[in-house]
Amino acid sequence: MENNTKQKKQMKKPPQKPSFWKILHKSSLSFWAMAPLLLGVIGLVGIFQVLVTPKMLSSLFRGNFMVDTLIGTLTGAAASGNPVISYLLGGELLAQSVSFYAVSAFILSWVTLSFVHLPAEVAVFGGRFTLYRNILAFVFTIIIAVLTTLTIQVLP
Amino acid sequence: MKEKEKPFAFRGKYLLLGVIIFYSVLFLVNSGVPLSAFKKSILILMKVMPIFIAVILFTTLLNYYIKPKQIASHLGRESGAKGWLWALAAGVISHGPMYAWYPLLEDLRGHGMRDGLIVVFFFSRAVKIPLLPMMVDYFGWTFTLVLSLYILVGALIQGWIQEIIEQTNGFRPYR
Repeated sequence: MENNTKQKKQMKKPPQKPSFWKILHKSSLSFWAMAPLLLGVIGLVGIFQVLVTPKMLSSLFRGNFMVDTLIGTLTGAAASGNPVISYLLGGELLAQSVSFYAVSAFILSWVTLSFVHLPAEVAVFGGRFTLYRNILAFVFTIIIAVLTTLTIQVLP
Repeated sequence: MKEKEKPFAFRGKYLLLGVIIFYSVLFLVNSGVPLSAFKKSILILMKVMPIFIAVILFTTLLNYYIKPKQIASHLGRESGAKGWLWALAAGVISHGPMYAWYPLLEDLRGHGMRDGLIVVFFFSRAVKIPLLPMMVDYFGWTFTLVLSLYILVGALIQGWIQEIIEQTNGFRPYR
């Protein structure tokens, strides 16, 4: 009898699954902890949208496709907002004879790169990850912009 | 082994403080700029709020129904091609700004998600399915299809390079 009781005691109980509400509370709390970070980024996005105007962006392009591709990538990364705005601006830039290279780089870096998100990205993922990811995204934005333009020139 | 609970601490306090100081300085120079920037920020916050709520719910459901081991098998070292495809698909269908997804990705990373897959997720977000008709309208079918295809391939290559960098340096670049 005694042995049986001991054996039962020795048998490990399976870990109890936490309730849904407990997990919801934990998720909300970890999100709440990030609130100052997210509010800071939103504040930066707001100020950039006011200070960096579309007119200012389009005046930066020079007519040289290589320089313009680089400018397109940097201005796309500096600007922020809904991607729809990048399409509208891209359309305007094309109408002003800015090359497809620059416009492709611009609309791509608008979504994949962002200077204003950098502090938050570093805080969440660490400096080295952010550095590598942004360098890769920057280089690939230029490569993809060039390849896309070359491909559509070749295609009928 | 029992997972250690992190003590609660606000993150990004200094960033928020810096932004508040920046707004205050701008207010002294030109009161109109920070006021309209503040209004824009409120509008952005209102737009992003449903996505924040969705991310909290999604994180909860994920942690409730899926064990950390299962997450690791789908997105961790042993996930293989399946992990790449999940990251690519998740990036394409994800909505809203990049920073809205930071909490979820941080949670998944804590459960073993590979950094290469996070890189894939972030870059593949450039393909926006709901906006494709608009893109076609502005830039044409050929441009839209070619660009989208290159984005997806480019995202996978970047993820692969990220993994090589990590393996070469023998570290997981975290903090």
